[in-house]
Amino acid sequence: MTPIRRDILIGLICIAVALVVPFVFGGRYVVTQATVFFVWAIVVVQWNLVLGVGGIFSLAQMALFAIGGYATAMLGFYLKVPMLVAIPLGGLIAVVAGMIIGLACLRLRGPYVALLTLAIAQVMYVLIVNDTGCFTNVSGCMPLFGGVRGIGQFGDLGFRSLFPSKWYIAHYYVALGLLALAFVFSVAVIRGPLGLAFKALRDSPGYALSRGISRFKYQLWIFAVSAFFTGIAGGFYAVHFRVIGPTVFSFSLLLFLIAMIVVGGMGSIWGPLLGAALLMLADEGMKEFSDYRNIGLGLLITLFVIAWPRGLAGWFDRLRALRTRTPS
Amino acid sequence: MDVVIQIIASGLTLGAMYAVATVGLSLVYGSLNMLNMAHGALLTLGGYMCYAAITHLGFHPIFGLVAAALVCALAGLAIYVFATLPLLRAENFETNIFIATIGIGAVIESLMLKSFGPYPIPQPLAVSGSVVIGNVHIPLQNIMILLTALVAMAAVALLLQKTRAGRAIRATSMSRDAAQLMGVRVGQIYAQVLALSGGLAAISGVMISSIATLTPVMGGDPMLKAFIICIVAGLGNVYGAVLAAIVLGLLEAATQYVLGVRWSFATLLLLVILVLIWRPYGLFGRQQVVRL
Repeated sequence: MTPIRRDILIGLICIAVALVVPFVFGGRYVVTQATVFFVWAIVVVQWNLVLGVGGIFSLAQMALFAIGGYATAMLGFYLKVPMLVAIPLGGLIAVVAGMIIGLACLRLRGPYVALLTLAIAQVMYVLIVNDTGCFTNVSGCMPLFGGVRGIGQFGDLGFRSLFPSKWYIAHYYVALGLLALAFVFSVAVIRGPLGLAFKALRDSPGYALSRGISRFKYQLWIFAVSAFFTGIAGGFYAVHFRVIGPTVFSFSLLLFLIAMIVVGGMGSIWGPLLGAALLMLADEGMKEFSDYRNIGLGLLITLFVIAWPRGLAGWFDRLRALRTRTPS
Repeated sequence: MDVVIQIIASGLTLGAMYAVATVGLSLVYGSLNMLNMAHGALLTLGGYMCYAAITHLGFHPIFGLVAAALVCALAGLAIYVFATLPLLRAENFETNIFIATIGIGAVIESLMLKSFGPYPIPQPLAVSGSVVIGNVHIPLQNIMILLTALVAMAAVALLLQKTRAGRAIRATSMSRDAAQLMGVRVGQIYAQVLALSGGLAAISGVMISSIATLTPVMGGDPMLKAFIICIVAGLGNVYGAVLAAIVLGLLEAATQYVLGVRWSFATLLLLVILVLIWRPYGLFGRQQVVRL
């Protein structure tokens, strides 16, 4: 079986399983948690494009997620834009923001990028949280970006009135659809010209450069394209929880998402998805020990980076290599 | 005039604290090409250790500071043994150590949260009283911070310039291979540098917590600022970092006065971005040849 066929097969099986989940485990808790998983999986899959495929040390992905969410919420709240339009617009705004951040930091070398993107996210957080002036007084005093409490009451996808008791299942399928799109998109990027360009730049930088593959240009591209679905995920997150607030900038969340990528395997196609699923499950299973959550995440990240830098995807590759070698 | 004195006084204090935090980071980056994201957690660890040594173990404040520095130096050594050493042998050292130290930092910070609780604690190592210059009251605490920082900086400078170990550290950061060929035990140097940086982090953590308070997340903000200072100066340039720390400290105090606390960090960042667009390798950074 060729790798592409294998990927398609695994993908179809996953989607088929995911489609029946709400009918098997009808409980609201399971379905809602699965929806949240889809949202994080979208972010992680897109982040993997930047971090693993592009080799850019960006920590701005949650900032882009927040930009998408805030843009969606603010379009809905201030301009009364329907959510169906506002979410894609949020994605586009995230792309623009991604390109600006990219222009500001991609000329720099690896670690400089990480620090600058982290600092940008931090500044956004500080500016939003410390804003206490009233921008509108429609429903009580609210700063332009909602301040500490965030923005709410900006509209809905309409499922809540359509299926009053089962709206969360509708959201589940929307999120699943978005994840499928985002995932296919990421595979297309990895296997397409962008991914090939980065492979060339990694395998033989000198030759690639002399054939006219500009690292800067492609890095900017991958930064921009990965921002789109991240922003959309942010918009969907805002609509799903009916609020977007500064908690999306929290370090704990950033740690959680990095752990997903690292455990799954940076730069691989399936790794981030696998890592996201595993960590969500582990997080559920260890709810009682939530005090130790960050300690566990930190240890996990450190352990994986040191012992298995290619993550679980690396394990599977090794297994496959063993299997093909034994018969011959 | 009073305002100017006030700004200079608080700016110098800020700058001194940042400088001590930055030198550690800069040394580690310069000699190992390692961005230590656990540095902020080491600051926190130092602050809490000093507190614990003074209140729980009844140490004299000076020994509390020394104890904190020793604990953090050990923590730095542990980072070397358990993370840096195994990762140096594998490829992609820079990315991997970056991610690994994020994990280590999270572990240390959560441990502090578990053992000391989330509520702010005042740092017992503090002096009261103030000096009056013009019409401005300058707390003795600020002057003590300035003096401690000066002593720490002078000690580091002496170590780097005058001792055999310091010469080896400088040689390693100039060229790892050449230093190794000349018989420098690079592994030992790395261990020393990480321990030294841990100790400096502790001192800086104690100073920062003595004018603010001890909280488990107190390390994050100074670390980010220390990184920004490192970037402005050029990563790995120790003396440039000290200068940049003091300039940025003064600048922060000035923006806090003129625009308010809310904008100080944003202004700082904007400035840094402009500097980086103008000089991508920092003000004093050497342009590195891209290795293909």
